[in-house]
Amino acid sequence: MSQATETAQSSSGGGTVEYIQHHLTNWCVGPDCDPVTHQANGFWAFHVDTIFFSLFLGILMLFVSARLVKRLTDGVPGGFQNFVESILEFVQGQIRDGFPHAPAIIAPMALTIFVWVWLMNFMDLIPVDLLPLIAGWFGIHYLKVVPTTDLNTTFAMSFTVFLMIIFYNLKVKGPVGYLKMFLFHPFGKFLVPVNIIMTAIEELAKPLSLGLRLFGNLFAGELVFLLIALLGGAAALGVGLLIWFPLQVVLDLGWLLFHILVITLQAFIFMVLTIVYLSMAHTADH
Amino acid sequence: MKKAKGPGLLLIGVGSLLTSMVVAGFLLGYGVDVLLDTQPIFLLSFGLLGFIGGILKAYKILSDPELH
Repeated sequence: MSQATETAQSSSGGGTVEYIQHHLTNWCVGPDCDPVTHQANGFWAFHVDTIFFSLFLGILMLFVSARLVKRLTDGVPGGFQNFVESILEFVQGQIRDGFPHAPAIIAPMALTIFVWVWLMNFMDLIPVDLLPLIAGWFGIHYLKVVPTTDLNTTFAMSFTVFLMIIFYNLKVKGPVGYLKMFLFHPFGKFLVPVNIIMTAIEELAKPLSLGLRLFGNLFAGELVFLLIALLGGAAALGVGLLIWFPLQVVLDLGWLLFHILVITLQAFIFMVLTIVYLSMAHTADH
Repeated sequence: MKKAKGPGLLLIGVGSLLTSMVVAGFLLGYGVDVLLDTQPIFLLSFGLLGFIGGILKAYKILSDPELH
């Protein structure tokens, strides 16, 4: 840990604030990246680490499930098949309760959201200095390993959900029905301008709350991991500060165990609210 | 119990729904302001509407989850 802190300090000037800021900076590539702060300054800035890790985990998910499909058996299932079947049944149960008579695409989408978000959240449980340290050996100085601590990821997903909500609203209610919802929804026909604004705000709030909730929880969790890592990292300043090391181990283990619950809960909430929002889009009238 | 489970799960999101409705109101108002060059009239009024709408919505969900 202390070695990793030294690496971080040598590349960013030292100090706890720099250590945290260094860890919360994305690997930004593109003409609109600020060369000093490494923050995106415009549209053409790519957070390569976010893209890489989210794609990698998505491909991993596809690869593992493709392998599993080949080995599927009707007889006594193995341990892993049992495990995946229990996840499937769990998601199916959620859809049965929240969205009866759902279109065929909803179940695979909900499962993908649940597993993918969980995997991306899981990156939070890998020691905070490990992957940035390895990346440092290859000349990559900034690396943020948890894709869901990047607002771009969470908003990309919630924006997709938003588009699906609009699509199903238009499909089920028809353009006129959807317009009627905007015109007459909270306050009846005498306050049409207020109704339009209110409904627009309400619809916009759905993806916003989805994206911000996931981002906020994971960002805060990552920050707590960084603060705990700083306890042992203080030993870089003097060996006497190693006295904090047992405390770091205890705190880290505690937060790690608790965080397993948090990441699962956040993935679950994202999935369930997507299902509920889409089922609300399918309800014909209010 | 089983019947109310789907909409009932909306209760998880009440807290963030309230805040994000305020944020959505401000965002929408800001967008309109930029379009019409009328800062900060719509920003404030839409923000207020978002706040009122958020409280109404939260109240509605909390008092009867079936209604949403």
